[in-house]
Amino acid sequence: MTFLGKIIAVHSYKGGTGKTLLSINLAATFVKQGKKICLLDLDFRAPSLATLLNVTKSDYWLNDYLNGTCEIGKVLIDSSDRIHNGGKFFIGLANPTTEAIRDMSAKDRKWEMRALGRLLALRNSLLNDKGFDYLIMDTSPGLQYSSINAIVSADLVIVATTFDRSDVDGTRRMLRELYDLFEKKTEIVLNKVLNASSSLMKENVQTKIKDVYQAPLLGVIPCFCDVLRAEGNTIFVQEKPEHPFTKILDGIASEIDRA
Amino acid sequence: MEVMIELQKHDRKDLQKPLADAPLDVMTLLSMPDHLRKTAMTLCRLGRATAEEIAQQTQRARAVESAYSNQLVIMGYLKKERKGRKAYFYVERENHG
Repeated sequence: MTFLGKIIAVHSYKGGTGKTLLSINLAATFVKQGKKICLLDLDFRAPSLATLLNVTKSDYWLNDYLNGTCEIGKVLIDSSDRIHNGGKFFIGLANPTTEAIRDMSAKDRKWEMRALGRLLALRNSLLNDKGFDYLIMDTSPGLQYSSINAIVSADLVIVATTFDRSDVDGTRRMLRELYDLFEKKTEIVLNKVLNASSSLMKENVQTKIKDVYQAPLLGVIPCFCDVLRAEGNTIFVQEKPEHPFTKILDGIASEIDRA
Repeated sequence: MEVMIELQKHDRKDLQKPLADAPLDVMTLLSMPDHLRKTAMTLCRLGRATAEEIAQQTQRARAVESAYSNQLVIMGYLKKERKGRKAYFYVERENHG
């Protein structure tokens, strides 16, 4: 049986829940396993992959692809050398200049509709033709056009959430009023969990998932000071292969593979 | 019964004038009733399809998908083109691909 690639959108209700950290490290985990991965920065309001992956210059951005001025092949940067002895790792970046951010926030509905068409076309061009195993889309938080376009294009939506009350409430509403309406397979990653190994917290997590979210739990990531200390300067799972964070990401990747 | 009424409506030429082109963007999809959203989403994925092909994806009857697709054409979200005996529905997006 041939393995068909999948599109994963990493989304959240609020900012600062760890979407980008999760996206980069999940992509790197798959690459370490020898897979061919494409990571796209669809957070056009606050692009961050270019900074985090130390890419200072790019001839083409994802903005150009969605504007219809270039093909996706010109946007992708081969970053396979970032992961030792791994598979293939390509990244597509959002233009981080203020002018580009302003330009993207002023797009009209017709443009967004065409952008959705171009995102949907990536299934053929990247998964079917170029043989990528996973296409991972890092999105803007909340109900942004670009994020909902990514959600509609995706096979799996990973929702990064925390125990913050407003985040819990917003995530619960998005589950019912966004992902469910699009009939999307949605899984939760609870991030920044304090005392994650205590039995009380484990019980708390299970209750929240069962009673509040009513969606499958993909993983629980404790609040790791080491991850914060790295300040986004490294691809964590690559630098610290034995760290518990890396082991948790391995588990999340295996779960996605099994699905 | 509802489907039959829809089908009858679509046979009436005076009701078949489509509205002006309306963009089928994600916010429009979100605001649609569930039954139409399913058809529209499927067509977004397929690009261009007959009612039969849409029905294979949605697991609903061909006649139901035909009625819903025609309704979306009238609302201006989809385009319809005949080729021989087959009618193809599609979302018009300039410069995509």
